[in-house]
Amino acid sequence: MPGMKKKTRPAGEPAGSVQEKHSLSLRSRIALYYTIATALLLALVFTLVFFTVERVVYSHFDDELDREVSEIIEEQPRRALDSWNFDHSDDDSRKGERDDHDHDHRKTDGEKVRDDDDEEFIQLVGRDGKIIARSANLAGDTLPFQAGRKEKSYRLAEAGRLAVRQIQVPLTDPEGRVEGYLLAAVPVRDAVTILGDLKQVLLASYPAIILILFTLTRVIAGRSIRPVEEVIAAAEKITRENLDSRIPLPRNHDELRRLSVTINSLLERLQDAFQREKQFTSDASHELKTPLASLRGTLEVLVRKPREREHYEERILFCLKELDRMTRLIDQLLMLARHESRGMTPCMEPVDLALHIREAIGRMQSGAGRKNIPISFHGPQSCMVSADPAMLDMIFENILSNALKYSPPDSSVAVTLSGSSGPLLCTIADNGMGIPEEKLSRIFERFYRVDESRSSGTGGSGLGLAIVKKLADLQHITVSVKSRPDSGTTVELRFPGT
Amino acid sequence: MRILVIEDEPGIARFLKDGLEEEYFAVDLAFDGKNGLDMALLNEYDLLIVDWMIPGISGIEVCRQVRKSGIDVPLIFLTAKDALDDIVFGLDAGASDYIRKPFAFEELLARIRVQLRRNNPAGDQLTAGRLSVNPVTHQVLCGTGEIMLTPKEFSLLEYLVRNKEKVCTRSRIIEHVWDIHFDSDTSVIDVYINFLRKKLDQAGCGNIIQTIRGVGYIIRES
Repeated sequence: MPGMKKKTRPAGEPAGSVQEKHSLSLRSRIALYYTIATALLLALVFTLVFFTVERVVYSHFDDELDREVSEIIEEQPRRALDSWNFDHSDDDSRKGERDDHDHDHRKTDGEKVRDDDDEEFIQLVGRDGKIIARSANLAGDTLPFQAGRKEKSYRLAEAGRLAVRQIQVPLTDPEGRVEGYLLAAVPVRDAVTILGDLKQVLLASYPAIILILFTLTRVIAGRSIRPVEEVIAAAEKITRENLDSRIPLPRNHDELRRLSVTINSLLERLQDAFQREKQFTSDASHELKTPLASLRGTLEVLVRKPREREHYEERILFCLKELDRMTRLIDQLLMLARHESRGMTPCMEPVDLALHIREAIGRMQSGAGRKNIPISFHGPQSCMVSADPAMLDMIFENILSNALKYSPPDSSVAVTLSGSSGPLLCTIADNGMGIPEEKLSRIFERFYRVDESRSSGTGGSGLGLAIVKKLADLQHITVSVKSRPDSGTTVELRFPGT
Repeated sequence: MRILVIEDEPGIARFLKDGLEEEYFAVDLAFDGKNGLDMALLNEYDLLIVDWMIPGISGIEVCRQVRKSGIDVPLIFLTAKDALDDIVFGLDAGASDYIRKPFAFEELLARIRVQLRRNNPAGDQLTAGRLSVNPVTHQVLCGTGEIMLTPKEFSLLEYLVRNKEKVCTRSRIIEHVWDIHFDSDTSVIDVYINFLRKKLDQAGCGNIIQTIRGVGYIIRES
């Protein structure tokens, strides 16, 4: 089927070309591959059948020839080849009998008894290829002789117009030298006809079988991939707008069900990511637009009417504060974006963790306008870890500022560093409002605020912990948060063992 | 006209109050949903401005509760979200209009006027006899002569003209013209009515404001 083969995609071609107009559908491809494999196998089987039959047929003849030849050799006395005689052997001079095909059964001066239809041709050939004697029924035709053969050989040949199976046996003298050859042959017309018929039947049925097989496989393949089509149809209906719909699961627990389950879980993750992205955009938009709205409105109202100098100053200072808030937020956003886009690599170096914590505590407490909440530190004087010092500072500042932000007045924050043997553990515990358990898992998301109204009262934007998480991940520090509402939150930093 | 602003962002709440008061509105502020809802249910406001994301009860819940109590006050919601879903959701919950942050103050004023115009098919221009009051330009004309009024006088006159042919009780006047910080001493109304009558008289609009003794005041066309 060369026409069909032409349509298949060459192996080297990129997979994208499956989309091409002339590419085969899966069912056709399955049918084609299956048919090609079967065609090869069938060709092999047919050839095998043909040659086996041929071999069986000819071996039957060969056996007969063998028997014949050994009989002849036994009959002939040990004497010169010239004197060998095959019952009705003749020489070239006896031309009168040449056309007489019926007389051989009458000439029974030898021991041989032969059936009419069991015609056999015998020919004796000298070493040099010269015909010494031949049976009369050859009627002047000769059996083709192959010179130089040292052993017995069988082959198909022609005596005159007649197809024969022929044996050629070398005759040796007692010293083992080849004196001449004995050739015997039987006509094989029937056998040849049968074999020819067989060949024709096989050759004719071959393409027919292949064609039927291809059509059949295509139908079966079509039927068996119909559930796939259903899955495709269901999947095609799912768009951005209805990401919450799922592919109905097939009843059978087969590969298709697994495929459907896999697609469904992919959709689940997609929907999650989509939802998070939507939430992120919405939150980012809120966080950026709120100070903008505040700025714009304040300034617009300010210029509507002439006002006192103090009024202007007060409002302008307020605007500057709002601008600060926006700047901080944009900085944080950019930092997160940078980390996400090209995975900033931390500059790891030996750092005295205890010293860094004490410094961060110092900075947080000396900052202007801080609530008066003491931060205590318990831990060794010095403790070396491998970390990026700048990132470490940012982590501690964010966690400590969170702890201060959500702590009530007159409470305290405790930082402890422990685990001198084994991995280092740093905990930062506050006595603040705590985080409800169902919200704990989300606090590392960008812009996530436990307070859903995103109140700006505490001054947070919801990016602090997301940054902490990102920076900690980069340095292989594990961050976890434990919290009980109304009794406080504990942040744990686990440093990798050195 | 008295407006309640429910907004937790102090900067926004403050400029709304400043700006709206300069436009002769009486403005009350609430910084969370619960307070805001209480105030909206307790007092009679001419308009509510509600931020969608506020602590306590969300803006949408405030809106629902207000509507559930049968209060048909115009409600404009402020939102920093730009998702279409949120806006549709808000309008379906009973909001009259919305405005996205950041917004131009003039646009907010225009949207407020649209809402206040709902009960006045004649548009922004309010009239009673020869008297015409324009809440956009704050101009008061008696025939063709302009009358200069202070913001409070204007608000009082605007309220009376909006409710012409109806008796405006002293307590309703207090509720709609003064904000919540006013300690409900209604005698202040008499003082402002006197100022108004004097100025209207001078302009030739005569005694358009009539006293309903023991109850309040009324403006009649004829």
